[in-house]
Amino acid sequence: MPSGTTLIVILVLFSAALIGVLVARPGVTATRGGKILAFLVLFFLPILCGAMGISSEMERSKTTAFCLSCHTMGAYGKSLHVDDPSHISAAHFQNHRVPAEEACYTCHTDYAMFGTLKVKLDGLRHVYIYYLGTPPAPENIKLYEPYNNRECLHCHLGARSFEEGATHTADPATLPAIKSNQLSCLSSGCHDVVHDISHLKNAKFWKEKN
Amino acid sequence: MSNVNPMGWRLQISGTFLVIGLLIEAICLFSSKPIAFVLFVAIGGVFLLAGVTVFLFSLVSTPPHG
Repeated sequence: MPSGTTLIVILVLFSAALIGVLVARPGVTATRGGKILAFLVLFFLPILCGAMGISSEMERSKTTAFCLSCHTMGAYGKSLHVDDPSHISAAHFQNHRVPAEEACYTCHTDYAMFGTLKVKLDGLRHVYIYYLGTPPAPENIKLYEPYNNRECLHCHLGARSFEEGATHTADPATLPAIKSNQLSCLSSGCHDVVHDISHLKNAKFWKEKN
Repeated sequence: MSNVNPMGWRLQISGTFLVIGLLIEAICLFSSKPIAFVLFVAIGGVFLLAGVTVFLFSLVSTPPHG
């Protein structure tokens, strides 16, 4: 458990203990000092604990380990270790083009206003289907909507390799089409090998050195 | 002054909700599973909200001394 989370747990338990004292001895709130204590313990501390806890949980929900904790995602996690630079997700993960500890979130968030909230709501839907519905087989999992170039351009826009790449500049219409999401990065025959989990059986895997 | 605090029982209800909510949140913080996130928000958060609401209600509903 990260040290920040440990501190939050300590604060939460300390608050619960103080509240327990007030519940056992409500008479202490009869005095002025007791009323101030009650306000701090029954209003301020719970809100502080809730806010810090939510913040901690939101950060944790961005981690690769969090996403891969559902076994449905296991094959997708495995695909990050395929030893083939044409696998775009594996190449990004292994070369730290995305933070390895937040690999899923970095590519699958929505870089628009309220994007994080939107993907978290989608995540709640995943949890609902996982526990109360029928989760599809990993190879049948589809994105809710076609992958938007905006997510790639969040990092690649302005990068020399993107702006001056031979394939990107061969036709002057290509770059504007990519930037306006008319020409998909992933499904236009360019970077179209992403997780490709149906072919993992025969794939060679990279072993990370510790 | 009487030993009976008119706010007392409301504070106890509020405190009980808050303790339950905080304990649920503490347990959820130990887990990194997505279900813990849902329980944290949906159950822990609801208890906290209920506890704080009861506390605030107790403040405005208690008649002034005198």
